[in-house]
Amino acid sequence: MSNNIKETFNKIHAEEELKIKTKAFLARKTDNYKKRRVSFKYQTIAITACLFLFILSAGGLKLYFTPTSVISIDINPSVELGINMFDRIISVKGYNDDGNELADLVDVKYTNYKYGLEQLVNSQTVTQCLSNNGALSITVAGSNQKQCNDILSNAKNCTSGQQNAYCHMANYSQIESAHQCGLSVGKYMAYLELKALDSSITPEEISGMTMREIRDRINSISPEDTYYQDEYCNQNEHGHTNGHGHGHGY
Amino acid sequence: MRSEQEVNTAIERYSDTIKRLCMIHLKNYADTEDIFQTVFLKYVLSSVCFENQEHEKAWFIRVTINACRDLIKSFFRSRTVSMDEIINLPDKLPPDNRQILEAILSLPPKYKDIVYLHYYEGYTAVQIGKILKKNVNTVYTLLTRSRQMLKEKLGDIDYE
Repeated sequence: MSNNIKETFNKIHAEEELKIKTKAFLARKTDNYKKRRVSFKYQTIAITACLFLFILSAGGLKLYFTPTSVISIDINPSVELGINMFDRIISVKGYNDDGNELADLVDVKYTNYKYGLEQLVNSQTVTQCLSNNGALSITVAGSNQKQCNDILSNAKNCTSGQQNAYCHMANYSQIESAHQCGLSVGKYMAYLELKALDSSITPEEISGMTMREIRDRINSISPEDTYYQDEYCNQNEHGHTNGHGHGHGY
Repeated sequence: MRSEQEVNTAIERYSDTIKRLCMIHLKNYADTEDIFQTVFLKYVLSSVCFENQEHEKAWFIRVTINACRDLIKSFFRSRTVSMDEIINLPDKLPPDNRQILEAILSLPPKYKDIVYLHYYEGYTAVQIGKILKKNVNTVYTLLTRSRQMLKEKLGDIDYE
């Protein structure tokens, strides 16, 4: 049977017409088998375009992941949000155990800072601290003054119903100093203020204290009880505290 | 891209094989023409380096079978019936050969390739498995079943 099948298929051949048509089709499709060489000019344009796109996308990514402002939220948890030029939260960092816990609990990364701020301020941890007479401090610092002013204004709106919430601005240069001490910007500002009154205080001590404890300590030592008088979020319309009574630049 | 001379040699060498595979899968001349164009254009543009002629032949068989399957599955074809959809058997085929060919063409598609590759091209089950990307045991099963089906259609003849 194998032979019969072989014999049968042996009688089947491709028609010459079919071969000729196929050859003609291929000649047409390949432009008579001419190799298309991409000219040097087009190669250069293509390479430049690719390079440009690469630089653009790399630059875009770098821009996106570069913080232009930080928002420090301190009460007992100390959390710092890194904000990029597109008003997106690109980092959420806790500066104490409670801060780490809060940062893990509230998923605000890559969201708009207004949403993130609302989520953090209205979180159960923060509202509980506030109801226990905690002092909420929101500090804004950054290289983009306009953005910082907007953030501060939004932070005030966000905490307008809270009596013990304070919003203020810090200098951009103080961000790095704060991080070197292992403190959030908000706590670092409080540390500087307390240090001016009591030079024995250390960043480690401050790190373990709640904002209420720091405030009470400052108030007990301070000759005049002016702390944040004009900084209550629901009272201050001016926005920032650069050069206020304590002389720490915030 | 391959040279014209290379392509013309391949057309002379493999046209019959492609024609036979087209015949067992397709039912009209226009489709066969399409497959010829598709397969050889793929060859022209392909940069595959063939180790030897056997390797090249296996490539043509696999590409042709895949092209036939794609054509059969194509959206347009699945919804239209060609006016010249008739079994495209050669006119001068003797009655005995015609009977065998009709028996092979009446097999379900998955058996036709196996029968052609084994009985005509002389490939072993292992080689067929490699060409069709099928398990060797599956090829054995398909061969056994196709043998039985051909036996029923053509009577008791030696199929080995």
